[in-house]
Amino acid sequence: MKRTYKVSPKKIGLRTWSKQFEKISTETISRYRYYNNGEWGIYLSPPATFMVYGMRELKRLKFDNSFEALRMWGFVFNETERLFRAKQIGKKVIATMGDLGVVPILVMSFPECVPFYPECLWWTPFFKESTELLDTASKLGVPEATCFSRAVVAAFHKKAYFPKPDLIIASTGASCDDYSCVMQTVEDMGYEVFWAEIPYRKSPEFFLNKPKPQILEKTKEGFVYPKILEEHLIREYKRIWQALFKLTGVNNPHRLVDTIKKINTLRRLVMGIKRMNEEAPIAPIPALELMVIEFGNLYGYADFDEWLEIVEMIYHLVKDRVAKGIGVLKKDAIPIAWVTPSADPYLLNLVEECGCRVVTTEYVINQALVQIEEDIEPLRALARAFINASLIGSTEERIKKIKEKIVKKQVKGVLITNMLGASHCAMETRLIEKLLSDVPILSIDVPAPFGITQQIKTRLEAFVEAMR
Amino acid sequence: MELIGYTCSYIPVEILSATGLKPYRLLHGEITLSQQGEQHLRVDACPLIKSNLGFILKNQKNFACIIGSTGCDMARRWIEIVKSTTNIPVYIFNNPRTDNFEIYSAEIDELVSELEQFFHRRFDKSLIQKECEKWEGIRQRLIAIDGRRRANPSAISTTTFHKIMNFYHQGRLEEIPYQIPDEISYKPRIFLLGSPVSYESAPFIELIEQRLRICGDFNCGLSRGIHIKILEKSIEGLKKAYFYQPGCIFKRPNIGYYEWVEKEIKATKSTGIIAFVLDYCDNFDFEIHRMEKRFSLPILKLKSDFSFQNMSQMKIRIDAFIDVLASYRGGIV
Repeated sequence: MKRTYKVSPKKIGLRTWSKQFEKISTETISRYRYYNNGEWGIYLSPPATFMVYGMRELKRLKFDNSFEALRMWGFVFNETERLFRAKQIGKKVIATMGDLGVVPILVMSFPECVPFYPECLWWTPFFKESTELLDTASKLGVPEATCFSRAVVAAFHKKAYFPKPDLIIASTGASCDDYSCVMQTVEDMGYEVFWAEIPYRKSPEFFLNKPKPQILEKTKEGFVYPKILEEHLIREYKRIWQALFKLTGVNNPHRLVDTIKKINTLRRLVMGIKRMNEEAPIAPIPALELMVIEFGNLYGYADFDEWLEIVEMIYHLVKDRVAKGIGVLKKDAIPIAWVTPSADPYLLNLVEECGCRVVTTEYVINQALVQIEEDIEPLRALARAFINASLIGSTEERIKKIKEKIVKKQVKGVLITNMLGASHCAMETRLIEKLLSDVPILSIDVPAPFGITQQIKTRLEAFVEAMR
Repeated sequence: MELIGYTCSYIPVEILSATGLKPYRLLHGEITLSQQGEQHLRVDACPLIKSNLGFILKNQKNFACIIGSTGCDMARRWIEIVKSTTNIPVYIFNNPRTDNFEIYSAEIDELVSELEQFFHRRFDKSLIQKECEKWEGIRQRLIAIDGRRRANPSAISTTTFHKIMNFYHQGRLEEIPYQIPDEISYKPRIFLLGSPVSYESAPFIELIEQRLRICGDFNCGLSRGIHIKILEKSIEGLKKAYFYQPGCIFKRPNIGYYEWVEKEIKATKSTGIIAFVLDYCDNFDFEIHRMEKRFSLPILKLKSDFSFQNMSQMKIRIDAFIDVLASYRGGIV
């Protein structure tokens, strides 16, 4: 995909973006469209448009100034509209909740089915700088000291953020309690929910005896697990497949093979971008954009084909910047690892302003980053991919890669972003601090929207000082 | 080492007891223990988890091993903390949240195999049958005691029942009394539910029972375990009995929990509900709103971190609740 104009990479605000946007031709604007619809699928707008629509935080954020990033933001912020359009044109909109990575692959293997993750709405209160969704959740009985994903309860209640799903597939088990409770609350509100089990990945140290090698298997990522785990997952995926068959009347396993290939293409591109970002002397792309790219692996923001093109475009941008030795941050920015995504996007900007660059992440979606095997039975391949999930096993396994990067001195500090009361944050943080104690670690509780204070900034500055 | 620790109602005590050790349910909840646990966990971790960690750190020499469960996220992750802070061998039992008997069944088979190998014991049919009979016998006695608590008028207080259940949960079966004097009460009858009631929760129960009588409950630490009925005294029978026990609120969907509690509230003729909710216990905190709608009875939600600092406040709230109960019966609320 050809870029429309060239600029030196830097981070810019809304005003600059709006001026830059004037240089983009109408022809170019009309070229990019979701669901390939030229009538209503055009999504290219300056970020200021979305600020006017209510995304107030955008006026504080700094964005990559490339056309590629502009295209990405336009597409991502357009998702709500896209989901309603999908419904209008007869597509089936399927809410996939809780598993973060595999169920949408099954959904996309059925014709005219669009998966989406309601939990991705956890960013919305922050982008909007509004506690409306969180307050509504509280009014509906959701406790305040829980993960920001509680916004999902309010979104289901308000019926304005996505259309009524044709099917809700809720995965629970070895997952976080907060979101399991959110999903149960959604069911209590009268929505019909299809429940699926996420079994626990028991590593050998949680057996009393040394397990026999023949009962164990190892993923390419290095996670050791009992083989039976695959069978448990396959059984669940077969149930989901049947539910989708019942919904659509279509049963074509070949489509799953094709979908896996497409998913792998996206995952390869994203891993390529991550790798280039990690290895380049200068950060080729900001952490905020990188987080959005990484999360796109979950479901392609409800139009997978278009998202794939966008990521391909960004891949070439990053490759070009790395080849030229240019980027968006200073060369002496300190490389850090980020553990658990921040619900407040502004924090990603702030960390870079303080002199850091994010070179590696553990955003609880490892299962959405790995390659899916293409030479074995597809449901087994999905199971084997999901077994790499971030939260279904031990904390030690979760941060193993970061530990390796610390040893190799590729990472000089670790930032952990928590939510007060969120089950895995409460239990994992101290252990992570202990396991990664060779470098400075900063653990932050992400405050409510518009709540980042001077205190957090000071703590970030102190963290940077400690690393220097 | 005489104890085998465990954390969840879905882990069959009969299997643990077949090791020759006393099954000890980790149900500690006490503020100084909790503070010790906080040295390894964030302040917003479950108070029960923190207290149990504090207890284990002080008493690790008594435990041959600990069998944890994936019941809730914090309980599962707690085992990893135990592993990183003690030398106690640990095992995590994968208790499915959904209606997935296959996983549960496979996990029980694996647990049996692990324990047999670890303790060099064969859990043959006769041993399992003997354990089933022993524990079933105890549970029948406890059901009889509970029957007197549930009677109208209630003849045994939950304060007493809690002490007895502590023996059951700590594997001190020989200390469960045969004779319990009557403690007839005509106080307003209420049902207790919510987070686990700890071994150290007696002052909290006594406070409630100064003005009310708890005639029934659905809490770990109280009567939950005694409702398990083993029909077939074998491993297969244990699987069915434990998997299909009255549903935990953690289950998805958790309709089974509501159906059981609703039935129990009616059976015990309770006129109100006290929900005991530990700080950061999502599973109950999220459900209070729904309970209010579903049970159509006044509910008093008492939040706790296991400290007794707010006892005066609790007392006032309980008094106010009694007023609500009175007016509710009069049709005013």
